[in-house]
Amino acid sequence: MKKFVATMLALLLCLSVVPALADQHEEVTLTFGSIWSSESEATRAPFLKTLEEFAEQYPWIHVEVDWNEANAWKDKGDTLASQNAMPDVFYWNAGGILKAMVDQGQVMALNDYLDDETLGRLIDGALANMTFDGKIYGLPYTNACSVLYCNKALFEANNVKIPETWDELKAAVEAFKAAGVTPMTTGGGDRWPTNMLGDILMLRFAGDEAFRKAVFKLEGGTFLDEGLIAGANAFAELVEMGAFPDDVAALTRDESEVPWHDGKVAMYVMGQWEGGNLADKEDFIAVAFPAVPGVDSANAFMGGPAEEFAVAAYTEHPEEAYLLCQFCAENLSKNGYLSGAGLPCWKADFSEYEDQIAPITRQIVALTNEATSFLLWGNTALEGEDSELLMDQTLLLLSGEITGDEFCQNMEAIFE
Amino acid sequence: MRKVLSNKWHIMVFVLPTVLFFTFFVIIPIAMSAFYSTLNWTTKTKPTLEYFVGFKNYIDMFTAKGSSFPDAVRHSLLYAGASVFLQLPFSLLLALLLARGVKAESFYRNIYFIPVILSSVVVGQLWRKIYNNDYGLLNLFLRAIGAETPKGGWLANKGTRLWATFVPVLWQYVGYHMLLMYGALKSISPDILEAATVDGATGPIMAFRIQIPLIRPMLKVCLSFSLIGSFKLYDMVKILTDGNIGTEVPATTMYREMFKSHNFGTGSAMAMFIVAECLLFTVLLNIIFKDRDRERSR
Repeated sequence: MKKFVATMLALLLCLSVVPALADQHEEVTLTFGSIWSSESEATRAPFLKTLEEFAEQYPWIHVEVDWNEANAWKDKGDTLASQNAMPDVFYWNAGGILKAMVDQGQVMALNDYLDDETLGRLIDGALANMTFDGKIYGLPYTNACSVLYCNKALFEANNVKIPETWDELKAAVEAFKAAGVTPMTTGGGDRWPTNMLGDILMLRFAGDEAFRKAVFKLEGGTFLDEGLIAGANAFAELVEMGAFPDDVAALTRDESEVPWHDGKVAMYVMGQWEGGNLADKEDFIAVAFPAVPGVDSANAFMGGPAEEFAVAAYTEHPEEAYLLCQFCAENLSKNGYLSGAGLPCWKADFSEYEDQIAPITRQIVALTNEATSFLLWGNTALEGEDSELLMDQTLLLLSGEITGDEFCQNMEAIFE
Repeated sequence: MRKVLSNKWHIMVFVLPTVLFFTFFVIIPIAMSAFYSTLNWTTKTKPTLEYFVGFKNYIDMFTAKGSSFPDAVRHSLLYAGASVFLQLPFSLLLALLLARGVKAESFYRNIYFIPVILSSVVVGQLWRKIYNNDYGLLNLFLRAIGAETPKGGWLANKGTRLWATFVPVLWQYVGYHMLLMYGALKSISPDILEAATVDGATGPIMAFRIQIPLIRPMLKVCLSFSLIGSFKLYDMVKILTDGNIGTEVPATTMYREMFKSHNFGTGSAMAMFIVAECLLFTVLLNIIFKDRDRERSR
C-alpha cells in the first residue's frame, strides 16, 4: 500500500510539472517600428494600452518600440528597407506604398499563420489593400476615412450653416473670411494632408468610378475626366478664395493643427483619427464632405483599411512577430475605437462600451454606415514616383502655382 | 625610426589599415553606386547586368519630363555662389575684425561659433519659427516697421522660398569659417604685422596686402569646404521644406528618387553626379590656387 501511495504521489508530482514545463517559453525580444511618437497623437494612448495588454498575455515576448513621427517614419522605413533592416513588426500604409515594400522583399506573407477563424473576425474587404497575388502582407488596425470636421461653435457664433453642398461650402468660406476667421487649414508642407483634401474634392466631383480608375490606373483611367478636372479646379477655387492660412503650403500637419485645436479655424479635412483629438471637445463635429449636386458621390468616402501592421520578411522570430502583429492589429482596432482614434475593422461586441464612445466617433460611425464606397487615398493607392507626382501636383495647386486643368494634365504622366 | 621609415614595406604596413578602411568604406561603395547607376533598378527589377542600361539614367535625370534634378542642380549652384560670395567674405570680415583684438574678443568668437555646434534639426526648427507667418520674429519685425511680408509665407512664396531655405545654412556656418580664418590670422607672425605697420599699412591695406595673402591656404580650405558643403546640402533643406518643389537640391532629389520613387538606378546616378561635382570643383580649386601660387612665385 505504502509503495502504491508513493508511486501515485510521484506520478502526481510529475503530472503537475508537465503544464509548468509547457508554459515555459523562450524569452524573445521583438522590435516594433511605430508612428505616434507625439503625446498629442490620438492613437498613442490606445496603442500603449494595446502593448500593455500584449505584455500581460505574452509575458515572454518583450517589445522594443521605435517611436517616430508619421512622416519621419516613412522616410526612415524606406531607408531601413534599403538595408534589409526593418523592425520585426512595423506600421505601414497599405496599397501601392505597401506593394513597393513587398516588391523589395521586405514583408512576410501571413497566410501560413492566419486561420479561417482569425480571418473571419475581420470586416469584409479589410485585407483588399494589403493582399497581392493572393498573399496577405499586413493586418489592418483601423477602418480609415476622411471627413470634414467643423468647429460648430465658430459656425454658430458667425451664423454660418454647416455646409452640405459645394455651394454652401463656398458660402461658408466667404462668410468666415468676412468675419476674419480662417475657414480651413491643411498641412501643405507634409503634402499628404493636402492630398487628402484634393482627393475628396475629386471624388465628390467625379464620383468613385472615375477616380478609382485614375488612382488605380485601371483600364480607361484618366485624370482628364471632366469630373476630376472639375474637382481639381474646385480646389484651385478654394485657394483663390483664400480659404486657407496664407502660409499653408509651408505648414507641417502639426503646425497647421495648432490653430485648429485652439478653435481659430472653422473646418478641417482629416482622417478619422483626428476624432480622438476632439473626443473631449464639444465644439467640434464630423460631417461628410459637402456633396456636389448632380453627382452620385455624396456618400462615397476616401479611406478604407489603409494602414496596417506588417512583419519583416527576415525576422528571426516569425511566430512571435505574427502574434504581436495580429494581437496589436485586433486590439488596437478595439482600443482605438473606444478612445475615438479609429473605426473598428475587426468584429467585436461594443455593446458594453456604448457610453465610453465619444459623440464625434459615433458621428463618424454613422457617416460610414451610410457609405456607398471606400476608395484608398490617391497617394497611398499609387506607387512610388506616381504617388510623389500626385503629392507634388496637389501642393502646387495649394500654392496657387497651377490650375486644376494643369494639375490633371500633369497627372496624365502616370499613364505614360 | 628613420631606419624603419626608410623601408617601404614598413610604410606599407602602417598605411594598410587606412587604405583598407578607405577602400571598403569609400572606394567600394562609390564603385558600387557607379555600377548601380547604369542599371534599370527598381522594386520590380534586380541590381544585375540583365538590367544594364548604360548612361540612360544620367540622360534621364536631366531630360526626363517632370524631372526636378536640373532645378536641384541649379539651386545648389546658386547656394554655392551665395556661400562663396556672401558667406565667406562675411566670415573673413568678422575674422579680420576679431583678430585685430576687439574688446571681448573671445566672447564674440564663441557667440559666432554657437550655431555651428547646434544640431541642424535645432537650427532648422528655430528658423521655421522665425519664418512663421503669425508669430515669427521676422514678420513681427516687418509688420512693426510697416513693411510687407511675402504672400504665402517665407518658405512657400515662389520668390522667397529658395533663399529662405539657404539663409539658415549660410548663417549657421559663418562662425565655422570665421573660426578657421581667425585661427590662420592669429598664426601670422607679429613681426610681419609690426613691419607692415611701420611701413604705414593700416586697416584695409593691412588686410588686403598682408593678412589675406598670408592666409591663402586657409582660404582655399574654407572655399573647398564651402563648395563641397553646398553640393551635398541636405539636412537643413529637409527640415525647412522637406525639399518640396522650388527648394529641391541634388541630395533631396536623390533621396526621393531612391527611397520614395524607388528608382534606385536613377537615384544612384544622381549620387554619382554629386560625387563627381564635388571632385570636379575640388580639382578646379586646386588648379586655380596652384596657378595663382605659381604666378606669385614668379
